[in-house]
Order: sequence, then structure tokens, then C-alpha cells
Amino acid sequence: MSILEVSHIEKHFGATQVLTDISFSLEKGQALSIIGSSGSGKTTLLRCLNFLETPDRGTISVNGTPIFDAADSTTKSEAEIRQKRLHFGLVFQNFNLFPQYTALQNVTLARELLSKEQGGGETKAEIETAGRELLAQMGLADRADHYPHQLSGGQQQRVAIARALALQPDILCFDEPTSALDPELTGEVLKVIRSLAEKKTTMIIVTHEMAFARDVADQVIFMDGGVIVEQGDPHQVIDHPREERTKQFLSRYAEN
Amino acid sequence: MFWTVTLSLLKGLGAATQLFFLTLLFALPLGLVIAFGSMNKWQPFRFLLYGQEHPGSVTSWLAGWRPISWITNVVVWIIRGTPLMLQLIIIFYGPGLWFDNNIWAFSSGRMFACTLAFVINYACYFSVIYRGGIEGVPVGQREAGEVLGMTRRQIFFKITLLQMVKRVVPPMSNEIITLVKDTSLARIIAITELIKAGEAFMKSDGITWPLFYTAVYYLLFVGILTILFNRLERKLSYFR
Repeated sequence: MSILEVSHIEKHFGATQVLTDISFSLEKGQALSIIGSSGSGKTTLLRCLNFLETPDRGTISVNGTPIFDAADSTTKSEAEIRQKRLHFGLVFQNFNLFPQYTALQNVTLARELLSKEQGGGETKAEIETAGRELLAQMGLADRADHYPHQLSGGQQQRVAIARALALQPDILCFDEPTSALDPELTGEVLKVIRSLAEKKTTMIIVTHEMAFARDVADQVIFMDGGVIVEQGDPHQVIDHPREERTKQFLSRYAEN
Repeated sequence: MFWTVTLSLLKGLGAATQLFFLTLLFALPLGLVIAFGSMNKWQPFRFLLYGQEHPGSVTSWLAGWRPISWITNVVVWIIRGTPLMLQLIIIFYGPGLWFDNNIWAFSSGRMFACTLAFVINYACYFSVIYRGGIEGVPVGQREAGEVLGMTRRQIFFKITLLQMVKRVVPPMSNEIITLVKDTSLARIIAITELIKAGEAFMKSDGITWPLFYTAVYYLLFVGILTILFNRLERKLSYFR
């Protein structure tokens, strides 16, 4: 059974249709890359999965359980959503770290609040140890007590990845994780994502790094104008695209 | 003579200080409530949009109407758009003049009426500053909190609030320094604050220097505040 099942998602902003009939599924431990030009709807799709936007139509199921159904308003209440969105983690394009907290506090804050709410399953010390471990995995053991403004963009993004991982989501989403970084800093972030793929973390990666998408992903989706144009094996989609629109997009990419 | 004047002005300073702190005590939180009111997005007639949109029509205007935000903004406009002195006169003399019912007839009634006028006035100014501070926090901060499963309350208190405070300290310090000097308006309803205390010596002893001497008190008061605000700004400079 697929860990994630997305069917017939549609989304409008006013009169503009941003997503049309989006369906795909993802197996546990797999990485999915979504490619496409700006405005193709890929970021909106990711935001729908994370409940930052509400789809007008369609359903989303995780582990066979429907967690969102546009036709069923009971799946849209705030408390419900808060529980269900924890299936997903999201790493933003521009990090969005909390500036007033250290790297470690950024990682531990949500988990501490959650464990307090659920009657204190974990102690503060346990959560902190787990947070330090995550930062160490990101190669940031010595940066735990730095504030975001004292870190480089690449380091900030790695803290953001640790922060998303701290809640142990089923599916980790990346929204153009390297687009806000200087070229010489993208490598360190891609390396971390690659290592997560090797550990069989289930991921959805919206990216402009074609070579990276091809190497890391088990599946690639090419979107254009709010629809999925082509999807399948990364080598097939990126190296031997079938659809005319995919070819055009990739050739434009090669020119740049 | 110098000591008599100093003592008398100290009493005036006491009244001014009392008004200053009472105003802050109530206006700081009330300002936040008003700020939330003006940002309220409740649209009770939203249902009118059900079906189709007719841009420019009365129904589409009504559907987009946010009454809480609208009323709050009108109140803020009235309060910021009229002099505090006039508001003070209306609040203190109004009930007696128009309703034949002087509700301020008890012993500290003047101070009460005065504090009320100051609190309403300053809360409105504070609300605009708060609003700017809250809206200045990037949306991404709220979204980051949301995807981490935080409640709206947690997002406000754990993430937005401190970032807002950092942003509002400079404009708030300006407003609070103005408040120190605005306390002199209390004399219009016969509260003996600094200016009135100093002026009294002109009538009783025919000397003018006590009036100018009040400036020393204001300067010291504002000087202390400036030091405190600088400290607070430095304290909050650990993040950006």
C-alpha cells in the first residue's frame, strides 16, 4: 500500500485555476521529485499537502487513511488539521527559521510544546538530546547554540531540515530547498538530502536541480500549467522525455 | 523659597507620574486588543457570495465587509483625529453637562476621568504601532509554526510576539516619551500636575522661574526613560 495517495486535487485562486486533476502516489522510503517552470503549480501542490492551502477538490490519504477530503468539511477543522499535518514536514525555500531561538531551540520548540500538550511523554532533556543528534547528523554539532543570523544560508537550511525531522514526519517535503542559496552553498544542502534518501526517508522534493532530481529521486513528476504532464522513472522523464512540453522545458533548462 | 518650590513641584510630579504609569498599565494591553480588532477578518455576509461574484455590486461589497475591523478603524480614526485635550474635556465635563449626572463627583474622580481619557487615546496610538509590528513579521514565520503543528495561540506567544516587540520598541519609546509631556494636559480639568504646580507661584508670589524649573523634572523623567529604552533595545539585539 502506498504511504501517500493524492487523487484529483484541484485548486483555484479566484478565477485562476492553479491545479487541475492532480493524482499520484508515493511508496514508503521513496523520493519523488517535482520539476517544472515557475508558476506551474508545484509549490501550491506542496502547500496543499501541508495544509497551508485548502484544495477545492480531491482527497489525500496517508497510509490508507483519508486525511483530507474536499467534500467532507469535518476534515477541515483547525484541530483536525493540526493533528493530520504532522504526517508531513516542510522545508521552505527561504528557511523561515525562528530568529529569536538558537539552532537547537528551533529544532526542539515544536516537539517540546507537543509533548507538554500530550501530558509530557518526553522530558526536556530527552528532546534536547534528540535535537543535538539531529543537528550532528546535519553536520552542525558545533552550531547548536548559534542564532540563525550567525549562520550561513546553507547552515540555516540544514537547521530547518533538522527542525522538520524532529517531529518524525511520515513524508518530508522540500520546497525548492536550494533556490535561495548561493551556488557554492547548494552542495552542502543537497548532500544532506541525498543522505536522507539513502536512509530511505520518504520525500517529496520540488527542485530546479535537474541532475540532482535524476540522481536522488525514485520517481519524477513534470508539471506545467497546473497539470501533471509526465511522470515516471527519473532517467526516462529527464533523459528521454516522451511529451513535447517536457522536452521543451528540459531543453530550455539545458541552454541556461 | 527654592525648597518650597521644589517640594511643591515634586507633588505635581507625583500626579504626573501616577497618570503616566496608570496610562501605560492599561493602554499597553488595551492597544493590543484594539490592534487585533483592526486586523479582524470576520465577514458575516460572506454567504452572499455563494454562487457568483458581481464585482462592484452592493452585495459583493457587503460580502467583503469586515464589521469588527471597520468599527475599530473608525474609533481609532476619531480618537487619533481629535485633540486629547478635547477628549479630556468631553469625558470629564460631558456627563454633567449633557446628562445632568456628574459621575466624576467622588474624591479622586478627576484623576479617574483623566486616566480614562489618556488610556483610550494612547491605546489607539499603540494599536497602530502594534499592528505594524505584527504585520511586519514575515508570513513564513507563521507558516513555519503551522507546519510544525503549533496552535495559533502558540504561534503568537512563542514566535510572533517577541519579534513584534523588537520591531515596536523604537516607535513605542517615541510615543511613551510624548506621554510624559502630555500629562501636562491634565491641568485642563484642574489636576495639579507639574505645569499647574509651577504656574501657581506666578499668582501667589509673582515669580516666573518655578514654571521654567518644571523643565528640569521633565528632562530627568525622559532621560531615565531614554536609558531604559536603550537598554531594552540592546537586550533584544541578540537576534535579527
